[in-house]
Amino acid sequence: MTDVWTPPYPEPGSANDAAFIGIGEIPSGVYRERGFMAQIVEASARAIQDARLAHTDIDQIVLIPCLHGIPDQADLIFSRVAEELGLHGRVKSSVMVHSGGSTSDNATRMAAGLIASGQARNVLVVYSERWGSADLQAMIDMLSVNGIPKEWEAPTGLQFNAIGGLITQRYMHRSGSSAAEMAAICVALRDWANLNPNAMYYEKKLTVEKIVNSKMISDPIHAFECPFLADGAGAFVMTSATEAARKHDAWVRIGGSGGCVSHYSAGQDADLGVLGWVKAAEEAYQAASWGPEDADLGEVYDSYAAVLAIALEGLAISPEGEAAREFHKGRFSPGGQFPLNTNGGLLSAGHTGVGGGTALLIEGVRQLLHRAGPDRQVPNAQRCIVGGTGGSYMDAQIMMLERVTR
Amino acid sequence: MSVTNVLRDGGYIQNAEELTGPFGAALAEGKLIVQRCLDCSALIMYPKYRCPTCFSGNLGWHQVSGAGTLATFTILRYGPPSSFDVEAPYCIGIVKLDEGPQLMCRMHPGSDGTWDHYVCEQRVNFVPADAAEVAERPAAWFSAALG
Repeated sequence: MTDVWTPPYPEPGSANDAAFIGIGEIPSGVYRERGFMAQIVEASARAIQDARLAHTDIDQIVLIPCLHGIPDQADLIFSRVAEELGLHGRVKSSVMVHSGGSTSDNATRMAAGLIASGQARNVLVVYSERWGSADLQAMIDMLSVNGIPKEWEAPTGLQFNAIGGLITQRYMHRSGSSAAEMAAICVALRDWANLNPNAMYYEKKLTVEKIVNSKMISDPIHAFECPFLADGAGAFVMTSATEAARKHDAWVRIGGSGGCVSHYSAGQDADLGVLGWVKAAEEAYQAASWGPEDADLGEVYDSYAAVLAIALEGLAISPEGEAAREFHKGRFSPGGQFPLNTNGGLLSAGHTGVGGGTALLIEGVRQLLHRAGPDRQVPNAQRCIVGGTGGSYMDAQIMMLERVTR
Repeated sequence: MSVTNVLRDGGYIQNAEELTGPFGAALAEGKLIVQRCLDCSALIMYPKYRCPTCFSGNLGWHQVSGAGTLATFTILRYGPPSSFDVEAPYCIGIVKLDEGPQLMCRMHPGSDGTWDHYVCEQRVNFVPADAAEVAERPAAWFSAALG
């Protein structure tokens, strides 16, 4: 028997209630001429301007790590961003938060905690990644060393597409989903990306036929079902609800969150077709007092189609085993009943490493601020479920975002 | 087989070599072992410094039957890691042993040289790779169970 612990959640609208007030993003894709730090400064400047703040109003920087190289990561760790933004001598601290693909959710929790506890007033959270311009074999090697136990799984030749293959095989077996139904997931995301000028594949169409006719990479994953590595950057600014109300008519709050670290090594997850979503969702929905039936849209981590399908079922957005078939029927596509990954997701907006989940989070905030533009704005969006995971899909992190008006 | 980890300096496993060495040594002899808690009898994969169930540091080894079920598998056809000196394609699987623990492993091809005969949830058996392969890459290999 475990004690029931009810956390002291912030009162909505209070000085302890964290609020997203600004977002900034530059296009994802392969942009060899764009520098790592240039991306950070531009995305940060856009977010600060969107928040209607001066750069000097930022008193805390939370950094989302890059994975393309140690020197740039070191620049993040050793406060280069504070100096580049002209905030040296002003910010209280500049700190990195890292949990792979779910970093966005953990960075948000940390920023919200700093605000709720009075440790910070205006927090800038920013990511920048250069995966699209990095050497592909070097990235394959990096992703077959990191997150895979060297004693136990490296001797099998495991790497990230193989983990995707193992999960997809298991998911297709459990759900009875066909190759065409799995491919429909990538097509729905591409249809969304075709509405997002910042997406890597804004101008390229994708079809089920093209996917199932592409070469097999790691059975049952085809070439067009693998994530495309991209360069990109994004940022957001958080403050308290009382501060937000001074300059903004609308902002976004965190209604609740949930999380579960289910495993480290892919071989040790009890069922790779489930992952940690069920436990995380139970916590998140209880905390927020609302659930999938109340949500207007979702932004859920999608580095492989099966990873997204598993998440949607764990989140109870789809019935068990039905997510891929629901994609195939168009439920999650533009014009469908439940808008999902409206920026195109990692699979079509571009996989910007740890930043891919951050791009989804930013899109969720953008939708709730009603700033997604005429092509893809979800009409009157009030509530969004954001889901993150990473590594060997070791954890499931959920943010329940709510639009607030003054 | 009941090998106990060699414990020094206050009786704890001090590094990955001490933790993993017996597994590779058993594989080299064609045997598959998993860690066993000598206090609560839990079988553990992968081996840990403390028992995940009762948190005891009193740990040994247990030879398993090698029979199990294939949870999932994939055939990697492109992009093996540079450090992995094997040409693609090759097949990786996750096997749940009848005794409980599960592990990432390599799958032997069938007589036709492919892996087309594998399906999730089928019965598989531990069939050790040759000594040279195990020395190079200490992984457990499995084949489809006969019949």
